Amino acid sequence: MDELPSEVDLLIIGTGFIESIISAAASRIGKSVLHLDPNDYYGNQWGSFNLQALLDYNPDPSEPCDFRNKSFSLKNFHYEWLMEDQKEDLLKNSRKFNIDLTPKLHYCRGDFVQLLITSNIARYSEFRSVTRILTWLNGQLELVPCSRSDVFASQKVSVVEKRVLMKLLTSLDDILDSENTHNFKKFLESRKLSDNLVTYVMAMAGATEHTSLGEGVKSVKRFLDSLGRFGKTPYLFSMYGSGEIAQAFCRLSAVFGGIYALNQQNLISLDSEDNRITSLTTTKQQIRAQNYVTSLEQCSEKFLRPVKINNYISRAILITNKSILPSEQEQLSFLIYPEGTERIINVFELGSLTGTCPKNYYLVHLTSKQVTTPQEDFKGALGNLFSGSDQPQIIFSCYFSIPETSDLDFENVPENLFLCPGPDNDLDYNSSIQKAREIFEKMYPDLEFLPRAPDPEEIIIGD
Amino acid sequence: MASNKKVLLKVIILGDSSVGKTSLMNQYVNRKFSNQYKATIGADFLTKEVTIDDRTVTMQIWDTAGQERFQSLGVAFYRGADCCVLVFDVTAPNTFKSLDSWRDEFLIQAAPREPDNFPFVLLGNKVDLEPRAISAKRAQQWCQAKNNMPYFETSAKEGLNVEQAFLAIAKNALAQQNQSVDLYNEFPDQIKLTNTQKSNGGGDSCAC
Ligand SMILES: Nc1nc2c(ncn2[C@@H]2O[C@H](COP(=O)(O)OP(=O)(O)O)[C@@H](O)[C@H]2O)c(=O)[nH]1
Ligand SMILES: [Mg+2]
Repeated sequence: MDELPSEVDLLIIGTGFIESIISAAASRIGKSVLHLDPNDYYGNQWGSFNLQALLDYNPDPSEPCDFRNKSFSLKNFHYEWLMEDQKEDLLKNSRKFNIDLTPKLHYCRGDFVQLLITSNIARYSEFRSVTRILTWLNGQLELVPCSRSDVFASQKVSVVEKRVLMKLLTSLDDILDSENTHNFKKFLESRKLSDNLVTYVMAMAGATEHTSLGEGVKSVKRFLDSLGRFGKTPYLFSMYGSGEIAQAFCRLSAVFGGIYALNQQNLISLDSEDNRITSLTTTKQQIRAQNYVTSLEQCSEKFLRPVKINNYISRAILITNKSILPSEQEQLSFLIYPEGTERIINVFELGSLTGTCPKNYYLVHLTSKQVTTPQEDFKGALGNLFSGSDQPQIIFSCYFSIPETSDLDFENVPENLFLCPGPDNDLDYNSSIQKAREIFEKMYPDLEFLPRAPDPEEIIIGD
Repeated sequence: MASNKKVLLKVIILGDSSVGKTSLMNQYVNRKFSNQYKATIGADFLTKEVTIDDRTVTMQIWDTAGQERFQSLGVAFYRGADCCVLVFDVTAPNTFKSLDSWRDEFLIQAAPREPDNFPFVLLGNKVDLEPRAISAKRAQQWCQAKNNMPYFETSAKEGLNVEQAFLAIAKNALAQQNQSVDLYNEFPDQIKLTNTQKSNGGGDSCAC
């Protein structure tokens, strides 16, 4: 078998979303990149797994090493079959599942979609529109109207309210300057919107009772700005799951010469001297690079002090037997479920058309800021959505906690070592793209971040 | 299936590093050959229109982009393939031995609906070189045991048999697609992001 190169411009460890963007960006401008991963799959905590692989997922391999930092691994990982009789059939279809640890949505006019288009990486991936947005109001599911025509078609909104809402939505720009109340919900109520309308607008903003006016208005604007581009809602979901995305960036990196080696079990240490990383030692060789990028998950304790994780993301993954709101055609639903006064549970319900689960089943992802444990955090919502006799039944459930690392700071990190946090609790990838861009710009201050890649037919090899 | 419908066939090429996968597709599409490829820019996928029984179809041939070198092709690479081309180097016996594991890997990762009927084509490349390690007979025997997989001996360097091989690949891919599309279109209305601000997928757009 070939040997890895002994000298490159950039050595990257971990194939999470942020590392993969950096890899693509560096290869794209001609840097030689070696991209390694101790795991035998792409994506780290941003990856997707088939059903069997999820069951086999081991967040805490017993043997610790320099490239597996237990502080940042998933916690409370636990799964359960609630309908044992379906297990065999589901496992037979294991490969039809693409189950994200970190599912994300993309705003149709957000940074992610823009980046895929401007960098020409869009050619590696396909998407589906979220077909409806739901929220939970007075003990039942409600459709959130997403467009002018939705609003006008809605029977839950009176004619007067329609006018008030349209006026509000078209005047968002002025609101920030003119209003002095600082709470988004109080502001909506002060505008004499009915409870229904307040709930709809809160859902558009993904807002809680504590959301500030500024945040709320910004989020509603983002929602409205992304309407009308693809599909009926502002959101897209990646075909076959969000885990495809890291792979798309890695492919671009490879096309531009990036060298890929997963399943690297033989890494020994990153060696440092005078606050710089000098080389990576493996059981077979030493590899030198100018810069090193690593995921926190795969970075040795010795470079990460202090480690104090304050927040976790609660996650639940369910396989169910029908939709929470059955309709004639298969829907891709995004449910914004307010839990208490300060928490939103984001619920994605994915059918077989997303390429993430087999026909006649639904894959349901729940994500929320963690308060106690994932089980406790979702108990109320699951009770409301999955317990009645006419409601879907949960066949399988899996719970875990993801450490929130996006805002951690470490002291005395070697100057040519750049650390990539794991997933955050945002709905989309915006902050993660920002993080990747920052790291890229620190390494290559004057170079362009992911300029448009030539189309395949523009790449003529062999000249 | 309506014969005027635009058909796109996705073909992926697998095999050990250095057997000539990139060279074969470059020879087929660009009629070019190089003895040393610049490491800085690889091949991505190439498209070529082919006419099969009076139908024009677009064949999209996907290169591994070198990710096969350390067994690091992700599952995304295998999605939606209509035909899988396996390549070995007739002068390098190890590359022939690897064929079984490449075929298995494809079947596991791509998980085609009917694995027994999925079209594979085998290419024995570099026949311009001596000495030969794997005879045509041996390769054909392997193919027979694999549901009579079609076999071609090629030289990407001299352009030998390359056109014929890819035509067979296109035919097999088309036959596969006709079958599966007739059954049902598994994932209709996918969205490809494009530079135009127009929405995709017909009536799916929003009128606000
Ligand atoms: N003599 C000869 N050399 C070839 C042929 N095809 C490819 N090569 C050479 O073999 C090497 C590897 O080819 P490449 O296309 O990069 O292989 P890949 O790794 O499978 O994509 C290059 O140096 C090519 O020039 C062939 O048909 N005959
Ligand atoms: Mg190649």
